[in-house]
Amino acid sequence: MKNIGRKIAKFFSDIGNAVVKGDIFVKLSLLIMGAGYFGRKQYIKGIITTIFQAAAALFTVIVAIPYISKFSTLGTVEREMVFNIDTMKNEVNNYDHSFKILLFGMIGIIAIVVFVFLYLWNIIKVRELQILSQRGKHINSFREDVRALLNQKFHITLLFFPFLGITLFTIIPLLVMIMVAFTNYDQNHMPPSSLFTWVGFNNFKQLFTSTISVTFGYSFTKILIWTLIWAFFATFTTYIGGILLAMLINDKKTKAKKLWRTLFIIAIAVPQFVTLLLVRNFFADLGIVNTICSKIGLTDFLKTIGLVKDSLTYIPFLSDPNWAKVMIILINMWIGIPYLMLIATGVLMNIPADLKESAKIDGANGIQIFFKITMPYMLFVTGPYLVTSFVANINNFNVIYLLTQDVFVTHNQYLANSNAKETDLLVTWLYRLTQEYYNYKMASVIGIVVFIICATFTLFAFNSMIKGDKEEEFQ
Amino acid sequence: MNKLNSIIRHAFLTFLAIIWLIPIIWLVCTSLSGYPGINISKFFPDTWTLNNYKLLLWDVDTVSQFPRWFMNTLTIAIFSCMISSSFVLMVSYAMSCMRFNMRKPLMNLMVILNLFPGFLSMIAVYFILKSFNLTNSHIGLILIYSGSSGLGYLVAKGFFDTVPVPLREAAKLEGASEAKVFLKIVLPLSRPIIVYTVISSFLAPWMDFIFAKIILNSGISSDWTVSIGLYSMLEKTLINSYFARFCAGGVLISIPISILFIIMQKFYVEGITGGSVKG
Amino acid sequence: MRKKLLTALLSATLIVASLTGCGNKGNDSADTTEKANQTEAASQTETEAPAELENVKLTVWGSEEDQSMLQTMIEGFKEAYADKAVFDISLGVESESTAKDTVLTDIESAADVFAFADDQLNELVSAGALQPISINTDAVIEACGGAESGSVQAATADGTLYAYPMTADNGYFMFYNKEYFSETDVQSFDKMMEVAANAGKKVTMKMDDGWYLYSFFKGAGLNLGLAEDGVNNVCDWNATDGKYSGVDVTEALLNIAKNPGFVSLADEAFVTGVQDGSIIAGVNGTWNATVAKETWGENYAATKLPTYTLAGDQVQMSSFAGYKLIGVNAYSDNAGYAMLLGEWLTNYDNQVLRFETRGLGPANVEAAASESVQSDPAIAALAQQSQYATVQRVGGNYWSPAETFGAIIVAGNEKGTDLQKLVDNMVEGIVAPIQ
Repeated sequence: MKNIGRKIAKFFSDIGNAVVKGDIFVKLSLLIMGAGYFGRKQYIKGIITTIFQAAAALFTVIVAIPYISKFSTLGTVEREMVFNIDTMKNEVNNYDHSFKILLFGMIGIIAIVVFVFLYLWNIIKVRELQILSQRGKHINSFREDVRALLNQKFHITLLFFPFLGITLFTIIPLLVMIMVAFTNYDQNHMPPSSLFTWVGFNNFKQLFTSTISVTFGYSFTKILIWTLIWAFFATFTTYIGGILLAMLINDKKTKAKKLWRTLFIIAIAVPQFVTLLLVRNFFADLGIVNTICSKIGLTDFLKTIGLVKDSLTYIPFLSDPNWAKVMIILINMWIGIPYLMLIATGVLMNIPADLKESAKIDGANGIQIFFKITMPYMLFVTGPYLVTSFVANINNFNVIYLLTQDVFVTHNQYLANSNAKETDLLVTWLYRLTQEYYNYKMASVIGIVVFIICATFTLFAFNSMIKGDKEEEFQ
Repeated sequence: MNKLNSIIRHAFLTFLAIIWLIPIIWLVCTSLSGYPGINISKFFPDTWTLNNYKLLLWDVDTVSQFPRWFMNTLTIAIFSCMISSSFVLMVSYAMSCMRFNMRKPLMNLMVILNLFPGFLSMIAVYFILKSFNLTNSHIGLILIYSGSSGLGYLVAKGFFDTVPVPLREAAKLEGASEAKVFLKIVLPLSRPIIVYTVISSFLAPWMDFIFAKIILNSGISSDWTVSIGLYSMLEKTLINSYFARFCAGGVLISIPISILFIIMQKFYVEGITGGSVKG
Repeated sequence: MRKKLLTALLSATLIVASLTGCGNKGNDSADTTEKANQTEAASQTETEAPAELENVKLTVWGSEEDQSMLQTMIEGFKEAYADKAVFDISLGVESESTAKDTVLTDIESAADVFAFADDQLNELVSAGALQPISINTDAVIEACGGAESGSVQAATADGTLYAYPMTADNGYFMFYNKEYFSETDVQSFDKMMEVAANAGKKVTMKMDDGWYLYSFFKGAGLNLGLAEDGVNNVCDWNATDGKYSGVDVTEALLNIAKNPGFVSLADEAFVTGVQDGSIIAGVNGTWNATVAKETWGENYAATKLPTYTLAGDQVQMSSFAGYKLIGVNAYSDNAGYAMLLGEWLTNYDNQVLRFETRGLGPANVEAAASESVQSDPAIAALAQQSQYATVQRVGGNYWSPAETFGAIIVAGNEKGTDLQKLVDNMVEGIVAPIQ
């Protein structure tokens, strides 16, 4: 933190310095950004900079200001319309669209901050140029500047477009949706016909209160616990299953390795939503599996040991909360293990053979080798992967949604009253809240909470699992 | 003893393979079924026919326009694959092989961004695209699939980390620019990771139906991708007459993807585990 | 806001109202007036020189199955109004059951004219997505049987007609296999279950679904409906003071659920059950009736819902009447022509065409009165049921609590929860304000 503070202080002192000590061109560039370059005969750079300045000013005045000026209220004019029979058209007033104000206001603010930063930074650069020219040092021609972008400044070239994409498609949308958590954007306040506005921390309070009619807090806790349990099992069952399968296939004694691997890969190749919807019908209460189970007497057997209630004539694979949870984890293994098998195959091949050999000479058996050598090595190499896949599982939408949507009905009235189910993850609940109930504000609140959980976990895991930065070591 | 061991081993593998293949077999069976709806009580169909494939491929009606959807998805997949692969490789190279001021903060930022649930921002993305007039267009969809792809740089960076430093240094001593090192030295050495990146980004448009449904919302079904098209066959009013065709569609997409996987298997495995090659 | 709009419409002081309606926007209103004048001028020149027709671009959304039929209707529309404007009409696919979701995601880019199921009307209206029908309104209402008829009620909110009734067959009814049931059997649910149980077969109805569950409570005289705000619910299903209490209905439901002749099945299982012969009667809609018709052939019959035993009495089951409507987007650039098109798609000829090509029951009274329509068993059954049916007006918070309540009943209330507590919990969820 100290470091950053120092950098900021230096940035501003540099600007002050530049303004005070700069020559006429530097001072002129306070007005026209390109001036400093014209002064050093960098005409093309000067023109580009000036055009940029003009564009930025235009954008600010035309696009940003109108939205930013409404940002504090998110709009005040509701839509009114009247049909005019003569023109056969509606006459509509100039209404405000709260969401657009939020979105473009946000974009406008970010853009202005960037412009101001570039403007200030430009002054420092121009001042540096002045010093260079005063000392009689070489000043880059335009061609040399371009060449630098392919050489020592190549990272700028490489990162420019990817980061533009990330900013537009990830950062800005996320900031906007974080903002939504502080508004009353829901079914009663839906743009474009109605307005929504800021409500501060109200939604967060609602999440953690459980009154009689609003059972959000109750549902939230239940779903959060299941989300964590799910993420844990989904990650580790597929991980261990994948390693074991890979070891089984890659063992010297196994014949036709490639054939086996291919068989499992086919399961990956079918799009997930196709297989999941199929599997869902497979395990339906009156589905094929149930027909077979009752024919071979499995259903009756499960009844006698108490796993299936006496009143049922089928095994409630996906309709009883506990059965469904287990089934979901099992089906997820079905989907995930082939992937992990592929990854593990690669890692296993790379285990230094001498490690195993020396262990064998020391008299270790297969199981000991697995726990002493294979697993630690796997964990070491795939540690980061495990952490990211845990986070991915917290946000694993497809499996849960496709397996339980329209099929699973909760028997818990408190959950039902806040549109939740036992098998919901935070993300599926969130999705339903936005898609079916237009409850964007609560969805955003849940999203933020999901993020905090993931971030805490990741920080913790990264710090304890991967001490220090190993990248230099490999190179 | 050894022989018995081997039999048990292979029997167990066969057992596992059967478990993994049963749903796939059912998919194939249903796609060959003479009954167009969903049969939830019988595994094998009563009558066998290739009719569903014929209908799907040649008999285009308003509900099922598989050939069009296939071409749309293919185009989207090719373009988004090109853009996202290059984004991923570019970011990975910059983060792995170059040293600059903002490197660490940017890497941390990207890790954090990956933690947010993507859905949350769906409406915002929609309106951003709309302001550029890119909703209801394949370009918009391509941008969605590839726009933030830079975030998935970790695996490729791990791979680049293993490319020996002396190799790059030597090239630079000979006067090669950073761009040249990237294009002429590092990339040719990185075939596995390129294949891995290309396959993963190529597959996304075939699997996704949530973003596609939101972006392609004009209802013009000939603009759809395979996944929305197939998903739409499962509507309450259609499922009884289109389920078998849905299955046939599923089979038809998985064939090329399986072949892709089988051919590229070796590279894929090497790519994803590249980080450990030197370790 | 809606009310303000309504008064504006009624007082017919169109432009003046728009001026006062948006107080501080003097500038823009002036703009609109100016624009209006210009267009008016333009339309005057139009009448003089018919060669220069206005270009009108419209989009229409209809269900997958209707596409080619809609195309025919649109061609007819273009021809009929060829002297008014040059039309560029594109047709898209959007299922009637999901139209609301897609429209509300972005109203501004949704189709100008779209088909939807009537249960979505109140949410669409409260989101301001529907254009109040203001061309030929009286004629439209008349053709559907007057303001009191179900289909007009289904398309009306706060006394304003918001959509054109298209079909009247989206509700549910009882269909059965004549091989097992006589016409008197199907008058009573208990009798039906008895017959089925004796034959080792089942009668089915999806009890864990708010849509069907409603028929029992409404039949008992208990109420569920929209609150004044048009989004939240009012519900007295936990009442203890009326002729029948909520607990009475719950007990009746529990009795049905545990009857050996009854099973609660979802749609796919229903279809399979019909095909393998284990289901011989059931409550469902036209979309599944076709399967039963194919399977049972001559023995297929349909009728109104039966009575059920409630606290010792036989009580007629009620139902949600289901209609499909055609709405006009309030954000349409050509609202007028969009309305004309909506009217066209639902006029007498096209409703007849819809019945002939797709077998859909017309909402138009005259079209529905024709002999061929009357002889269709499903449509006749729906017509019979219509006197006990109510228009579906419920808010979004109804479904999930009702579904769960139904599921608990189907499972036989295993935890033995106090029945009053069960209905209380459900009602709490149903009336919970949408947050």
